[in-house]
Amino acid sequence: MKSSRRWSNISKPVLALSSLVAVAGCAEDAPQDTWQPAGPNAKMIDDLQRPIFYIAGIVGVIVFAAVAWAIFRFRDRGQAMPEQTHGKPALEVALTVIPVLILIGVSVPTVGTIFDLAKTDDTEMTINVTGQQWWWEYDYPAVGDNAEVYGISDPIVTAGQLVIPEDTKVLLRVTSRDVIHSYWIPKLNGKKDSVPGRVHLLRMEGSEPGIYAGQCTEFCGLSHAYMRMEAVVLSKADYATWVANQLEAYSSPSAGNVSAVEGEKLFLQQCARCHQVNGLLNADGTPNVAAPDQYVVSGAAPNLTNLMTRNTFAGASWDLLTPECRDDVWNATPGEFGEKYLAGVSEDCLNQKDLREWLRNAPEKKPMYADPTKLTETGGRYRGMPALGLTEDQISALVAYLLELK
Amino acid sequence: MITTGSKFLYGLGSATAVAAILWFIANDGGSIGVVSLAFLAVALFFMGVIASFVRDGHVLSTDTDAHASSNAAQRGVGRSWFPVGTAFSAGMVAIGSVSSPGIFKVGICLLFAMLGQWLIKNWSDRASSDAAYNEKVRAWVVHPLEIPVGGAIILAIIVLSFSRIMLSLSKESGLIVFSVMAALVLTFGSMVSVRRGASRRVIGAVAGVVLVALSGTGIAFALDGERHELVEAAAEDHFAHRACGEEAEETDEDAARSVSAKSSVAATVILRDGRLFAEMDGWNAELTSITLQRSNPSTILFVNEDDHEHRMVVAYGKIVEDLGGGVSKDTVLEACTSLITKGGTQAVSIVIPKPSFASEEPYSITVPGVEGASIEIQVP
Repeated sequence: MKSSRRWSNISKPVLALSSLVAVAGCAEDAPQDTWQPAGPNAKMIDDLQRPIFYIAGIVGVIVFAAVAWAIFRFRDRGQAMPEQTHGKPALEVALTVIPVLILIGVSVPTVGTIFDLAKTDDTEMTINVTGQQWWWEYDYPAVGDNAEVYGISDPIVTAGQLVIPEDTKVLLRVTSRDVIHSYWIPKLNGKKDSVPGRVHLLRMEGSEPGIYAGQCTEFCGLSHAYMRMEAVVLSKADYATWVANQLEAYSSPSAGNVSAVEGEKLFLQQCARCHQVNGLLNADGTPNVAAPDQYVVSGAAPNLTNLMTRNTFAGASWDLLTPECRDDVWNATPGEFGEKYLAGVSEDCLNQKDLREWLRNAPEKKPMYADPTKLTETGGRYRGMPALGLTEDQISALVAYLLELK
Repeated sequence: MITTGSKFLYGLGSATAVAAILWFIANDGGSIGVVSLAFLAVALFFMGVIASFVRDGHVLSTDTDAHASSNAAQRGVGRSWFPVGTAFSAGMVAIGSVSSPGIFKVGICLLFAMLGQWLIKNWSDRASSDAAYNEKVRAWVVHPLEIPVGGAIILAIIVLSFSRIMLSLSKESGLIVFSVMAALVLTFGSMVSVRRGASRRVIGAVAGVVLVALSGTGIAFALDGERHELVEAAAEDHFAHRACGEEAEETDEDAARSVSAKSSVAATVILRDGRLFAEMDGWNAELTSITLQRSNPSTILFVNEDDHEHRMVVAYGKIVEDLGGGVSKDTVLEACTSLITKGGTQAVSIVIPKPSFASEEPYSITVPGVEGASIEIQVP
């Protein structure tokens, strides 16, 4: 009587929770869903995991049913102790051989897939991916096919969003500047750890234009949860446009844009110590060279050249686009996507709220061990961006300047 | 009455208290060391009081006559070499204080060791009327210290002797000598393991002879000096000046010495038929330009397939230091492997903090002495 009352007390919450978990698995637009591959590498994993999941599911159901039946059938009803037997060779052999056969069956396609995913001799483009607390840097070497086929005549450095051409076998050379991170765009491939001092290789290929979200999957410190990434797949023509845009020479804001001109000066004073903007000149006309190695533990800060051609900032944790404009890009059809993405961030679409909050007090928005009074262990260097103490006018000027970077 | 056993505990407690005070002074204030030592001193004093109260357990506390008449109370202290050792150590301290810090430090260590041994010997000699038991008591106290320290000293002698021999022998002779020695050790070990009845005394004697022979050889080789390459390297002071030129013979301090560094390299640079090129994962071609990430440890592996010895030199700009008064000092940033014979490999690990566009001179990988052997390094 007591047990049935107890069961009725807990049955509703258990059923509700189970339903919630089941319903959560039905989301169709989950951006980090491994069951919705968008490229051949992820498809290979999907093709492998589905049959294994079904096999494991069937085995699981059989085992649970057998256990449940045994519990119910042989429950204590006051009957006499049954005869005790020890050993049943036929059954034991069967229960050993059947799992062995299942595992052999599973291992054959698994090993084949592992080898296919590890191939590097057929890749057409190579990109260096470097993790650090708490953002990802991408640099496109101007070497080999990168230069000859894809027009990358000078190295391109960007952050947050990896941009690749569709139907192109891209090889990522993944490493880290500080601690171990892990690179994962679920719809395009599996995970790959980024380890300081080592270069790990990861194939990446997208079958149709769009944006694919990812997340660092190795706990890497305070803001690990804010270390996100996105892979942008463009048609080959759009990719060529993107490359050409990235390689365009820098030009300062026009004199008519007073706020942006003021912002450029402020950027040189406050930001250019760590953030590189290729082509930016110092007041004396010499090229500005950022020195993040002197101020940041990892020795690097995001290169902000052409910042407004990206859709995210601060480790892809926040969008540069307003929610409406972001939806417009994310929900675009593959045919329209390139045009919308390449339009970059306009003044109307700029997510001023998050960007201004970031410039006002970055560590408050994203915890980063950036307290200037607690830097004794790091030799005075920050992990992440400190609060710069900018006034609202200075923030407006910087925003105006950053809008010009595209 | 202060009994024999309690004397030891009071003495050790006093020494611990002094150590706590010294620690407090040396470490400029409170620390866990002071607290630990202070607690230890209190504990030792407490045990000393208990030992006094129970008269070391030898006689009843109420039997006051026995305190002076028991065998343990009557037994005198035996002779030992520790007073001589103490005097010798004190002499070393005195001489070291005016001549050499090394002698002074060794003297201090010896002095404490001799005083400790002397203290324990005198205490244990009065532990009971049974000399054999007293010796056993001494062993209980000092063996936990004597055996590890003795082992460490023997190990140090072996390591030092080995190092002297290895530094003196040529690379080729070293290979032969140590192969033979390893074979002898293996043979002797196998014989001992097979002949289970082997006398411990014989094994000990052989080990002793080997130790003496090894240390004697080590001393002889130490007197003979290091092999000429090392002497030249020391004369070159190659860690202080440019070691990457064609003329230098020795390795650069930036050359990677860990095997693990070679297992995942940013690029492999190969010298073959007078051509220098790089191979990197992702490019199925011989590259003459490579890209390395900025501020990121990058390991470059050099493979020499040329008939002659060569070294790889990685140059990545220079640092201009303003010394004031219009004077500046240029420091060239470069790293190199040592000279490598045909078929040899060596890795260099570097971190390049500045982008290549910020340098007046291009970053490059070269091989001194090979005309036109150059690879461009791009650092974005």
